[in-house]
Amino acid sequence: MNAASLQSFLAMGGYAVYVWPAYGVFFIVLLIDWLAPQFRRRRLLRELRARMARQGARKERASSPSPLRGEGWGEGPRLP
Amino acid sequence: MLDTRRPGLVHACMAVLRRDLTLAWRQRGDMMLPVLYALIVTSLFPFALGPESALLRRIAGGAVLVTVLLAMLLALDAMFRSDIEDGSLEQLMLAPQPLALMMGMKILAHWLATALPLIVIAPLLAGMLHLPGAVMPVLLAALLLATPLLSLLGGILVALTAGTRRSGMLLALMLLPLCVPVVIFAAGALAAAQEGLPWIAPIAWLGAALVLAVVLAPLACAAALRIALDS
Amino acid sequence: MANWIPLWLHKLSSPPVFYRFAGVLRPWAIALAVLLGLVALYGGLVLAPPDYQQGDDYRIIFIHVPSAWMSLFIYGVMGVAAFIALVWRIKLAEVVAMASAPIGAAFTFITLVTGSLWGVRMWGTWWTWDARLTSELVLLFLYLGVIALYHSFEDRRQGARTAAFLALIGIVNVPIVHFSVVWWNTLHQGSTIKLLGPSTIAPGMVWPLLTMMVATKLYYVASLCSRARADLLALESGKDWVRQIAENEVRG
Repeated sequence: MNAASLQSFLAMGGYAVYVWPAYGVFFIVLLIDWLAPQFRRRRLLRELRARMARQGARKERASSPSPLRGEGWGEGPRLP
Repeated sequence: MLDTRRPGLVHACMAVLRRDLTLAWRQRGDMMLPVLYALIVTSLFPFALGPESALLRRIAGGAVLVTVLLAMLLALDAMFRSDIEDGSLEQLMLAPQPLALMMGMKILAHWLATALPLIVIAPLLAGMLHLPGAVMPVLLAALLLATPLLSLLGGILVALTAGTRRSGMLLALMLLPLCVPVVIFAAGALAAAQEGLPWIAPIAWLGAALVLAVVLAPLACAAALRIALDS
Repeated sequence: MANWIPLWLHKLSSPPVFYRFAGVLRPWAIALAVLLGLVALYGGLVLAPPDYQQGDDYRIIFIHVPSAWMSLFIYGVMGVAAFIALVWRIKLAEVVAMASAPIGAAFTFITLVTGSLWGVRMWGTWWTWDARLTSELVLLFLYLGVIALYHSFEDRRQGARTAAFLALIGIVNVPIVHFSVVWWNTLHQGSTIKLLGPSTIAPGMVWPLLTMMVATKLYYVASLCSRARADLLALESGKDWVRQIAENEVRG
């Protein structure tokens, strides 16, 4: 494909103003739709790991003989 | 003995209706708010569009319809609100009477308390916009059929949002797709009447839709309520 | 209860099994979707001849029409999943119904925007109150209503079931809206625009269109897998299998 035919392809017979934005919207919207759940999944796992780390730390503290904090602090309220 | 402990169906319906109407009557001020809102909105149209009576006459029917619809939407949010807050709705769900019938009665009470005042002042609103007197009966017929439809559809949606805390904008978003056909047919009847064309067909469609909604909407409302409040 | 459901389907509806299944299916679906999409774009943008009436402007059809099909197809899938979720209370059906809604809304939005861009040139206006356009707009509001209702509940499962009910109401509503707008248009005698008249479409235009349709369907499958996986993790975050996934990912 030479430069002139590429230019005529991009010009879309004079309708480039309508055709390319339409394709742009198509790809941008679908890209957002594709990325959103992946970020969400990563965030959920990160939060879960943080919660597990907190719970693990709490359990260790509960098992160690500390007179101030040992009682009634076993499992915190679990987030939904 | 048994009769006094388990009142008949008609008795129970009347009790729900009377209770809701009494509550509405005690809050007369709240009842007048949608009416006031409709008056304000209608009086804004001439300011925005200019006082030419030819233009106002042309838009009068549609403007009154949309104004009444918006005023009803304003009151919709409160349909079951107090009943959910004080727990009486859950009592109603546990009652031996069919929930759908009870919900139908509650919707009827809500329609009587909010839509009827709006229908009463609708001729005044239409007059402010110079709607021809000959079209007035069609406007009233359209409103008498369209407002109960909106109340019934709204009842389902309010039941769906019963478990959430705030629902004002959400209700508007959900009601819009449902009320499009109602508005089209009601406004269609008005437009036909204004042009001197036969207007009975759209009114008949509205009537048919209302008959369907009277049967199905309370059932859907009860089902929605059971889903939304079941935990 | 589920005697008539084939066993594997029953097994698949368990969240950990579906999570793994979706994880396997997802890369294949997206790879095929991208591949077919590129083929369709090449066929549509380069190989297909310009339309003798509309010139090159008609090339919007290759994304507009598949998106419009998808907007309806996804609503159908959502409706079926919503029905299953309400009747049999299967958690996976709730997840599928709620994961479909944003994808459907995305396709509906694309349909409306590309349609307007097409209409500006073809009809001289970017919006007309035609039955199809109005139904599509109503469809967008239905999708948004379902999504908003789902997110307004604190309890996700309850929100999903409630929104599923709204989705079912919407299925009844869409044909009614379409019919009433058709009637309304004949009354007003306004726009007599035909979106796709009985014009014969050249075969060079048909195969890219159909290929794009398959590509969007595959994209939907891939995106649905993605969303369902994330939703399942959120729903079951207290369970052991999710904890194991969280631990494995930190190592890997």
